[in-house]
Amino acid sequence: MTPAPRFAARALACALAITATAAAATPATAKAPTRIVALTPFTANTLAHLGIKPVGIGQTLGGHDKLDPALKSVKTLPLSHPAGPNLEQLAALNPQLVLSTPTWQRGETAMRKLGMKVVDVEPRSLAEVAVDTKRIGALVGRTAQANRLATQIDRGIANAQKNIRKHPTVLLIIGVGRTPYAALENSWGGDVVKKAGGRLLTRGLRASGGFARISNETVVERDPDVIIAVPHGAAGDIPRLARYLKTNPAWKTTKAARNKRIYVSTGNSLLQAWTDAGRTISDVRRSFLKN
Amino acid sequence: MLEARGVQVTIGSKEILHSADLVANAGKLVAVVGPNGAGKSTLARAAGGLQRASAGSISWNGEPIERLRGRKLAKLRAFIPQRPRVPDGVRVQDAVTIGRSPHIGPFQRETKADRDAIERAMERAGVTQYADRLLTTLSGGELQRVQIAVALAQEAPALIADEPTSHLDLGASAAVARLLRDLADDGLAVVLVVHDLALATAVADEVVVVSDGRSVAAGPPLDVLTGACLADVWHVDAHLEAGDAGHTALHVAWLRDHR
Amino acid sequence: MPLRRLSVVMIAAVTLVAAIGASLALGAVSIPLRDVIDALTGNLDPGPFKQIVTELRLPRTVDAILVGASLGVAGALLQGALGNPLASPDVIGVTGGAGFGAVLILLVFPGSIALLPVGALVFGLAAAAIVFAVAWSGESRGGIGKLILAGIGVQAFFFAATTATMVIYSDRVQSAVFWLAGGLVSEGWTNTEAVWPYFAVGLIAAAALMRPLDRLALGDDVAASLGARPRLIRLIACATAAVLASAAASLVGLLSFLGLVTPHLVRLAGGTPSHRYVVPVSALVGATILLVGDTLARVVAAPVELPVGPFMVALGVPLFLWLLRKTV
Repeated sequence: MTPAPRFAARALACALAITATAAAATPATAKAPTRIVALTPFTANTLAHLGIKPVGIGQTLGGHDKLDPALKSVKTLPLSHPAGPNLEQLAALNPQLVLSTPTWQRGETAMRKLGMKVVDVEPRSLAEVAVDTKRIGALVGRTAQANRLATQIDRGIANAQKNIRKHPTVLLIIGVGRTPYAALENSWGGDVVKKAGGRLLTRGLRASGGFARISNETVVERDPDVIIAVPHGAAGDIPRLARYLKTNPAWKTTKAARNKRIYVSTGNSLLQAWTDAGRTISDVRRSFLKN
Repeated sequence: MLEARGVQVTIGSKEILHSADLVANAGKLVAVVGPNGAGKSTLARAAGGLQRASAGSISWNGEPIERLRGRKLAKLRAFIPQRPRVPDGVRVQDAVTIGRSPHIGPFQRETKADRDAIERAMERAGVTQYADRLLTTLSGGELQRVQIAVALAQEAPALIADEPTSHLDLGASAAVARLLRDLADDGLAVVLVVHDLALATAVADEVVVVSDGRSVAAGPPLDVLTGACLADVWHVDAHLEAGDAGHTALHVAWLRDHR
Repeated sequence: MPLRRLSVVMIAAVTLVAAIGASLALGAVSIPLRDVIDALTGNLDPGPFKQIVTELRLPRTVDAILVGASLGVAGALLQGALGNPLASPDVIGVTGGAGFGAVLILLVFPGSIALLPVGALVFGLAAAAIVFAVAWSGESRGGIGKLILAGIGVQAFFFAATTATMVIYSDRVQSAVFWLAGGLVSEGWTNTEAVWPYFAVGLIAAAALMRPLDRLALGDDVAASLGARPRLIRLIACATAAVLASAAASLVGLLSFLGLVTPHLVRLAGGTPSHRYVVPVSALVGATILLVGDTLARVVAAPVELPVGPFMVALGVPLFLWLLRKTV
């Protein structure tokens, strides 16, 4: 070995020795939790990707997206507003760590009283996906794998944004009905559409929660190229919902209506974060934005 | 004018009136008297068409009451209830105008004739000076006279008053009594349900005694309301005395238990 | 008409005309007044401005007038028929029923979303029908007490059913929340076309009921003496109010505040309880308040649309309290 690498090797050995000693000297409570409950698809899938099998996962609301197959045998907890999972069912699983979101804030106090560690993890933008992946990694003691996963995710996101040819104006709305409850730039869906090359109709508007009820006048004036609706409903309802939206008289003159580019998105990938964020962007580009 | 025979009234599952008679004629005042719960008001209401009778015959000028509906009956008789509703924001003038409604067609406005009739009614009842007052600001006696004005605006030949004096003081009662007697003298047929036997004796041409759901006596007051009748029906030791000019007195042995 | 009553009518009429102008001229998008007028007279070329004025603002203005007038009239009819100043479409169960009908479609059968106005209308009428069926039983048929209690019971039932549905389908709740909060939508003429016959029938019936309701003022006995049929009048008045309120709810969700407060405003300002004054003027005032409230709700935070309820309350309540203080 040449002098520089030899020095580096020795420095590395020292660092490792110090780290090992420090790790050995840490009290037992810093050990990584083994019994974890993940209430969202994002946290559940992230755990699966990190090679951890949670003891319980939250029921996926409002969508038919598939979870990692490794989670198939994991107990599913039904979730309901405002507390989230049934506390008794949760307690029966005896988790040490619960990965939750602010939606279930009401139930989190009770969870903490039962001695569980509760951490909210909800990426609200694509940039936060990698960051939150690393946070989860730190919580469960799989920092190295999490870092690798985070890098992978960021690369996927970057790749999905290559060669964007067109930047259509997009109106993204959720819920049923014709009054636009529109996604703003600071919502997950809004961020996905932006990164996929779309220009949000609601650009320039901010509101807490990321959604706002937008006047149809603004929709007509700003004339979107594409309208994407994310309604709730069973699979069988989607065709009728789609027909209802496509025949909205208020949108008659928009490019989206005239060019038959009013789409209904099934699944919840536009409503909340997904580990495979890059795939979400590619799907949006391919199916809706066509760029 | 009014002829009611064998009237039977059942409300819910209870038979209030078993068989009662009532006759009223123009220019005469008939007082219907009796203990509480005997069925006086029920008889008056049935005769006036406000309560359906389950048996018996009631006719006005020979026509059975079943065939007299709505405005037709309203132009034959006016009913003054015991406790009328006193709404907010309504003036005396407005109330008496309401009394005129049987004469005003569905989409017509009041005519001069109607307005005159309303004026006359208020004058006759002695309430013209209250025309702009709110009903809610009137005393008991004033309100009762307004009620009579409302009924007079109907310009019906018969008037049925259900205990108009029961909650009034002495002076107000006397005023109402005078008014009703004058109206009978003017030619109206007046049926007056009343508690006060002395008052009844003073103003009535005829008295009908109702007891336990039956009319047990009918005739001139002094003939009917004898000591025996008062003992029988009201279970008190009492007798009526009548002087001239409507001066009557009821003597009651209040403290004697007559059972 | 005495000066006081006339001036109330004139003020309300002038405000309504101004409000119509404002509703057509103002909105999330700035359109020059010239173009607004051209669009209405058919002189504007097709384009977003024309679309906005004729297909969004005009139907919405018409809806606001119809709904505001209907709710005002419904409240006046109910307060007159029931002799109770607290009467409003809530009392006969319509609001609860309509709310449940809408939530049923929004949350449980979202595929049938096109039937939303119909669902609200049908359930509103059904709830009222149950109330009437209960209140018209027994000897005290059509008596006020029984009617109000039946209304409270039915209302409570449907509200509970609505809440339960919202909890069961809690992930879909957002759509229902907006509808329940109440407010107009800019969706063109389709909804109006579906329900305008109900408004027409209701308003015509209300006009015919004005005199009969006046005859109930002195109580049922005096009304009977006059040859009126108080219970029948009460039933028809409540049924008419139910039709008007259900049709209103099917267009705008739950805005019962108008039905309760508008007739009081009119009575306090005009100084008379006569239905021949209160019913038509409640229509005028109700339409004005809703139209002004809706215009503000569209413009204040444009392009975001706020719910119209708070604006109506902000307009109506101070006026109401001020008038209340002035009365004896």
